[in-house]
Amino acid sequence: MDIDPSKILVRYNVQKEKAQSPDQMAAEMFPKAEPARTIAKAIYDGEEDEVIEGLEKAIGKGADAIKLIDDVLMPGMKIVTDLYDQGVIFLPNVMMAADAMLEGIEYCKESSGSAPKPKGVVVCHVAEGDVHDIGKTIVAALLRADGYKVVDLGRDVPVDEVIAAVKKESPMMLTGTALMTTTMYAFKEINDRLLESGIHIPFQCGGGAVNQDFVASYQLGIYGEEAADAPKMANAILAGKGLAQLKDMFHKH
Amino acid sequence: MVKRYTSMAYKNADDMIFGTAVHPVKAELGLEVGAGYVTAEVNYAPRPEAGVSKEKLVSEYRKLTTDILARAVQIGFPAVSLETEHVEQMTNNPTWGGEIAHVQKTILEEYHEEYGIKCGLRHTPGDIREDRDLLALIGKKYDTLMESFEAVADGGADFLSIETMGGKEVFDYAVLRNDVPGMIYSIGCLGGMDMEMIWTDITKIAKKKNRISAGDTDCAQANTAMFVGGGLLDKNLAHTLAILARVIAGSRTLVGYESGAVGPGKDCGYENTIIKAITGCPIAQEGKTATCAHADVMGNLTMQCCDLWSNESVEYHGEFGGTSVQCWSQTLNMDAALMNTAIQTGNAKMLRDLMCLSDKYRDPQGYVLAYDNAFKVGQAIVKDGNDLYLRAKNAVVETIKILEASKKEGKLLMSRFEQNALADAKASIDALTNEKDTFMSDSLAKYKAEVKVFRPEANYKW
Repeated sequence: MDIDPSKILVRYNVQKEKAQSPDQMAAEMFPKAEPARTIAKAIYDGEEDEVIEGLEKAIGKGADAIKLIDDVLMPGMKIVTDLYDQGVIFLPNVMMAADAMLEGIEYCKESSGSAPKPKGVVVCHVAEGDVHDIGKTIVAALLRADGYKVVDLGRDVPVDEVIAAVKKESPMMLTGTALMTTTMYAFKEINDRLLESGIHIPFQCGGGAVNQDFVASYQLGIYGEEAADAPKMANAILAGKGLAQLKDMFHKH
Repeated sequence: MVKRYTSMAYKNADDMIFGTAVHPVKAELGLEVGAGYVTAEVNYAPRPEAGVSKEKLVSEYRKLTTDILARAVQIGFPAVSLETEHVEQMTNNPTWGGEIAHVQKTILEEYHEEYGIKCGLRHTPGDIREDRDLLALIGKKYDTLMESFEAVADGGADFLSIETMGGKEVFDYAVLRNDVPGMIYSIGCLGGMDMEMIWTDITKIAKKKNRISAGDTDCAQANTAMFVGGGLLDKNLAHTLAILARVIAGSRTLVGYESGAVGPGKDCGYENTIIKAITGCPIAQEGKTATCAHADVMGNLTMQCCDLWSNESVEYHGEFGGTSVQCWSQTLNMDAALMNTAIQTGNAKMLRDLMCLSDKYRDPQGYVLAYDNAFKVGQAIVKDGNDLYLRAKNAVVETIKILEASKKEGKLLMSRFEQNALADAKASIDALTNEKDTFMSDSLAKYKAEVKVFRPEANYKW
């Protein structure tokens, strides 16, 4: 027994695939000038050694290491995240590109002896009692790739520790992920403790069993359906959006 | 020393069918699994607020167990099995899990006695072996986990299961970097080593307490790959790589059976058709009836060879049609009734093939897990059954072969991205050594350097 599957199912991913390959699209987006072009390509390819090699040459020729971060590394990474947002490339490409770009930033920091100013600080954590942290790892990587400083508290983080970190770091946003319904209740407690302390930062929550209805039930909660929402939300905060506007933007259901 | 599988329990893929296994298992209250009929296995989670105290949790499980049994007899189902996946409090406090098992089993006994309904109870302690950001597979947490198994066995759980996490610290790093050798190392080798340790001990407890050492699932890794892969339009992982994680999980989950497990294998082990082909042990599966818990691309296909049919997990709460566990248990039981009717009328293979074909070409994952292809993967695993590395690698090689061969047939359409990911995977596998020792020492050095939470000496028995 066999079937003609074309009447049973549709592989929309095949149907919707772009005519151009990701490599072709990326090549059109790389800057024309050197060393930016070579370094952007190395970031896209996730080749750490080639990124460092490109930076080394540029610094050798007198380029300012910190300026290279803003003018070359960050724009190079933006090509990768833009392609990801457009659905052209996949997450592992972004992760490998981010690894390469972050190595590059470290190299520039060491070369110059100073550090660049991040776009903002975000504290990330996985709820107390929950050890499932791959979602948080992705969120942190995407935020770093977009120029944010991430204070990663790890997984199974007690509420007290989250509150202490927020007080210490004064972040623009807090993120919390959880896989299990039984652990996500910690988010509500964090919300209450932040409010008690007079802290009103957006608290982006998402992951496994977390749903919009639950997150919308506490004042600071903004539901993040996908990891890629994290940098979008941080950028919206930088653009001046408040809690109510963020809920409008990200509460889709 | 465990006895590795080097041959298949089934001679032909076509011999595999739902409801029947080569080696059925029998629970206390009349339920047999794999003995010629399919039974619903109902899964549930307590409402979050029930976790605040032991009393509230016990009460929650008492209510939901009663609800399931009441609905089963109201609609006239001959059998039902329950699975309690522990919330962490129940495993960390072994007496909690033990008491809940006892309360549930008492309710099953009462219904069995009054109505004759055949019942089974699986308890699945949580893998609590972690210490914040680090796995802690060996040590105090392990001892608590074993106490939990003792307690639920004493409480009356028929089937003992767990979803172990061995290798996950390396896997989470590898899967986000398209690193297929890293998947082989984490799932196949590290996961396999941990499985051998833990399932040898669970089996000892099961034998001592006259319970059934049921089996594991690679939920922590292969299901992570499947969920990260997501739907057709998600862009987080190529589905051709998600299926490679799955077939490696076939080699890894098999270790549980080599260490004494006899089934029914855990529901979310989508690798279970491979396991059934090799071991002949009965399996639980989930699919369309688990949409309450997650979406996947093979909701019918997974019924093809199941012996227990599950809904993965649903939070206990009210729905229009009763409580959630009543609604989902009724759906599961209705599916089981259809499969059992097919068995009785001699149409089981027909129904199996219809269910399989409705999903087979939907996705590379379903294509490889279709029973005919899953059987081939099983054969590749047992070919080098004595070598945890080689057999995991063989599963990958065979899967790539199956997917490449599908292009000729033209029914499974793969995107350029899926095909490129497959080609990259093939290149990385072609470059691998055939020597386990070389692979293990190279991988140890690589991941010790790259994965800061990897603590091989503390977590694995080398």
